Amino acid sequence: MKLLHQHLLTAVGVLTVFAVSARAEMREWTSSDGKKLEAEFVGTEGAGASAMVKLKLANGTTVNYPVAKLSADDRVFVKSSLPDDPAALASEIDKLVLNKMKESYYGLRDELASLAQDQNLSNADKAKRKAEIEREMKMCVPNKMTSDSQFMRRIYLDIAGRIPTYAEASRFLESRSPDKRADLINELLDTEAFAMRMFNFFSDLLRVRDRLVMGGGGQLKAISYMEYIKQSIKDDKPFDKFVRELLTAEGTVWDNPASAYMVTDQGMRLCNLSNTFTVFLGTEITCAQCHDHPFEQVKQIDFYRMASFMGEYETNKRSNLNYRAEVERMSKVLLDAGKLRPNTVFDNQLNLILGTMRTNVNDTGNQRVALPHDYKYDNGEPNQKVRPAAYFGDTVNLEKHATPRAAFAEWLTSPGNPRFTVNLVNRLWKLAFGLGQIEPVDNIPGHLDGQAQNYELLKFLEQMMVDQNYSIKDFFRVVCNTNTYQQKAEELSPTLTQIDSGAYHFPGPILRRMSAEQIWDSMVTLTTANPDGMVRRGAEKYRELMNTDITTLKTVEQIESFKMQFRQIGSLSSGEGGDSMMMMGRDAGRIGGEQMVRASEMPVPMPPGHFLRMFGQSDKTLIENQTTHGSTPQVMALLNGSITNKVLTSPDAYLIKEIAYGDGKKGDKIDKIFLSVLGRYPYPHEKRAAASGLRARNDGDEPRSDEEKEIAAIGDVIWALVNTREFLFIQ
Amino acid sequence: MKYLKENLNKLDELSRRQFVARTAKTALGVSILPVAGASSKVLAAGGGTAEHCIFFYMNGGMTHMDTFDPKPGTETGGKTNGIPTGVPGVELSEFMPQLAKRFKDIAVIRSMTQKTGDHRGGSYWMHTSYQPRATIIHPTMGPWAARLLGKKHETLPDSVVIGGGGNHPGSGFFGPSLSPLPIGDPDRGVQNSDLPDNVSEKQFDRRYKLMNTFDETFRSEFKTDEVSAYTQFYDETLKLMSSDDLETFKLTNEPNYEQKVASYGDTRVGKGAMLAKRLVSSGIRFVEVQAGGWDMHQDLWNAIPERAGSLDMALAALIDDLKAEGLFEKTLIVLGTEFGRTPKINANGGRDHHPRAFSTMFAGGGIAGGQAYGKSDKLGIAVEEDPVDPRDFNATIAHALGMDLNKVVYSSSGRPFLVAGHKQDRATGKVVSEGKPIARLFG
Repeated sequence: MKLLHQHLLTAVGVLTVFAVSARAEMREWTSSDGKKLEAEFVGTEGAGASAMVKLKLANGTTVNYPVAKLSADDRVFVKSSLPDDPAALASEIDKLVLNKMKESYYGLRDELASLAQDQNLSNADKAKRKAEIEREMKMCVPNKMTSDSQFMRRIYLDIAGRIPTYAEASRFLESRSPDKRADLINELLDTEAFAMRMFNFFSDLLRVRDRLVMGGGGQLKAISYMEYIKQSIKDDKPFDKFVRELLTAEGTVWDNPASAYMVTDQGMRLCNLSNTFTVFLGTEITCAQCHDHPFEQVKQIDFYRMASFMGEYETNKRSNLNYRAEVERMSKVLLDAGKLRPNTVFDNQLNLILGTMRTNVNDTGNQRVALPHDYKYDNGEPNQKVRPAAYFGDTVNLEKHATPRAAFAEWLTSPGNPRFTVNLVNRLWKLAFGLGQIEPVDNIPGHLDGQAQNYELLKFLEQMMVDQNYSIKDFFRVVCNTNTYQQKAEELSPTLTQIDSGAYHFPGPILRRMSAEQIWDSMVTLTTANPDGMVRRGAEKYRELMNTDITTLKTVEQIESFKMQFRQIGSLSSGEGGDSMMMMGRDAGRIGGEQMVRASEMPVPMPPGHFLRMFGQSDKTLIENQTTHGSTPQVMALLNGSITNKVLTSPDAYLIKEIAYGDGKKGDKIDKIFLSVLGRYPYPHEKRAAASGLRARNDGDEPRSDEEKEIAAIGDVIWALVNTREFLFIQ
Repeated sequence: MKYLKENLNKLDELSRRQFVARTAKTALGVSILPVAGASSKVLAAGGGTAEHCIFFYMNGGMTHMDTFDPKPGTETGGKTNGIPTGVPGVELSEFMPQLAKRFKDIAVIRSMTQKTGDHRGGSYWMHTSYQPRATIIHPTMGPWAARLLGKKHETLPDSVVIGGGGNHPGSGFFGPSLSPLPIGDPDRGVQNSDLPDNVSEKQFDRRYKLMNTFDETFRSEFKTDEVSAYTQFYDETLKLMSSDDLETFKLTNEPNYEQKVASYGDTRVGKGAMLAKRLVSSGIRFVEVQAGGWDMHQDLWNAIPERAGSLDMALAALIDDLKAEGLFEKTLIVLGTEFGRTPKINANGGRDHHPRAFSTMFAGGGIAGGQAYGKSDKLGIAVEEDPVDPRDFNATIAHALGMDLNKVVYSSSGRPFLVAGHKQDRATGKVVSEGKPIARLFG
């Protein structure tokens, strides 16, 4: 049992840091509710939403007062004295986590003490409850700090979305810098790999698939949308701005990719609203589409009032060009040249491509949303049109905005919306810790107090997100620097009841199985020297093709070239865009028969039998559709599948040829393999077991040279390591 | 696998069979429930006579207007014509010609209704009889059958899902031991179930042993449920690999393979139906075949001939095949979907989500064919007669298979659940089934 007192004392000792100001003058202070006080400014304590100002009164006593409760002017006065660096904010988070743990711990201890006297419980129930309490008490003590190896592997998986390469791992572990953890966090946040990692997260939320919509033969492409999302992550575009762009974008998906958000739910205006609520407000209101919500304060009419904000846009626009006639004209050219399939007179591919050219998000001013024809409540008539209005948050003044959906976007992302920021920090917290402050993340209740694992912490994170101008990178920069994040993963699984009642207080992150993408991307890391080097590009080409004046395509060559270029959109390329871009075909990135490139650069969704899908990658048809559950097929894929048997363990495999037998330090081959796969060096007994394989006799097959035997044995070590639970889980 | 094989060789033939039965039982994801023998009296509980079920699930919301409940000549009928079924006054859509010819074998439900217009919620309700909740995952019908009836076969899994997505509720709170075995592509069977060509058994054994050595420290430190579950999956998979049961999943081993593909159709749903038949012939109780592409918001009449046509072909071939093998009366065929589609045709030439009225189908397994049960109104908007909700739908499946609808099963948190949903009986205070089987389907 860890010593709670000791932990708490050390932590408090470290955290009580005073930022003392040189200025000392008497001034008048005003609280947010108007009370006034004469006092000298001594300094501040803490940071962010829980910062305190230290004031010395005329009688010489010093008091602490919450900065959050000061008037706006006084807050500005204090602001420059408040630390806003990641370390200071991280300390505050740790303090809040510790406070909650302490409170919970003592509560449980008292309950345990009085349990024996409880007359209402049978002895059996008492014993059961006692075990539960003791288990929960164990989880109310911070875990030990991670080793450098554990931290490194975790931070790479969480920020870069993959395990570190051999070079990255040895560089970090050998570094003697005292700031190396903070430095690595900063470094990783600015990599291409971070954008890849976060793209997987967002594409699951936003349901981004290659074929943007099911209809039209899937010719409406998401490539521009994908690149736009990745670029927004790389630029660290403020999240509220990003959401406003999605909700208000006009035009075509190739010229203005943000408009793809509306197009995704083409023809499903009401579903689109439900999805927007789930993704950006963590609120499930689908049921109010058909009836008053049974538990939440949302009526059916509220749903339709919200939906009518989205009632004036269309996703298609009329065009002066007669596309059908153009397809017929071009089909004729192809037919005459004998380029059409037998028995066809009409080029269906051209028809489908041109069919997507009318896709265009635009605001028509015609309200399309009305109450359903079977509306049964007293507050409206069937088929009646309703005025847009919000049922919580700020009151919306439609006149101030160009379109109702612009008003909606403003309302949704406003600091006055009680759920927008909470939803974001809750989802990001879950990404780093494996569990949200509020679970489930798509069911944020109207009143947060008592519903979150740690209400004070959640409010702190909310304010921090606002203060940091909705920077996702800065959020991770702070959170990953906390002790809470850097402590060892929890060894016990929190129970559903515990999660439900908000009783898990984060002694460390929970032990998470890697996501499907993290597993796949780690396999890619073990396969190639530059795992993030291969990217999918095509937005530029798509834009060019879709803006082609179709009437100028006259000759067979022009038409065929147009079709061919269209088919190639979204091919893999290495390096940056522009002329140097190298287009590659189906063989790009192929190793051992498998295309080994990062998941974010692969087609989405992959077919159901692919490794990624088997391990639970979302098919992107539903919000948050990924899973991390185990299954027999997954185990078979790791035991017998091509990744572990052809890609990683063949004598030509990167790990064997380039790492174990490669240039560089003449280290031990087994050490190198362990470091590459698990991010740590082997324990002595592991090294002995692995080494005994190197001396193994022939298997009774054809005789082999010593070197061949050794390579086969190295392959065995790799196979065995990627099959461990240690590999699959994030410690 | 050396250890396993050495152990097996030491056993006499009888013990060996028992051993394989015991290991394979857990290996394909099935628990240690007692096996219900042929003489078992489970029929008394539900009364149904079906021993197997093949459940076709149409993802996306199958249009009732253009399959089983056409409304030709009305303002909502669209371009879909009706064709006769041999039963006066009952037509199917022109896209289901094979089933129309076999109408005497099928019963169509035209009065399905539920309340959720979103795919996930609707699909969840149809699969589990419960609406999604944040705190629990409810089990689907295959695992329910295993739970209530006991295991059907000694060494094969009780339920299989072919072509399913990532969001199938599976065995829910029953836990992983009752999970349906997922098969992605019917042609590929149980993927990766054989040792790769370049790996000898001896090498495999060596690797496996190394793996356990390398993983010791981690596993002794982290004893979470998730880690233990994976370790259990490894143990089970190893046992499975050394049993003969995998052959059942190899579709290409089906006699007259080419000929059968021609009649079922070389499509996902066709191959899925064909594999389902093969699994059922081998003794597996519950097979779900999922097929997508029904979310026809646009351009419906471009997609429907192929989508409905491939389903029609697969179902017809399955009926014929089961009959030829004498399995039709023992095998319940069910067709379900999350909702129907709006009678009103939208601007894009498609139909939108419509949970108020939709269609499903039953056949075989003691079902009295040649009938259309229930009625939607003239335009296909609302149910006019004999409404059937997802709980009644599942109650009908449960009844046909002989499950006890009122058998209460408690989750680990102590909440009571029933196979077709539950409510509290006002008079007795007891928890009873909310769903009612459709009696008229059973002749």
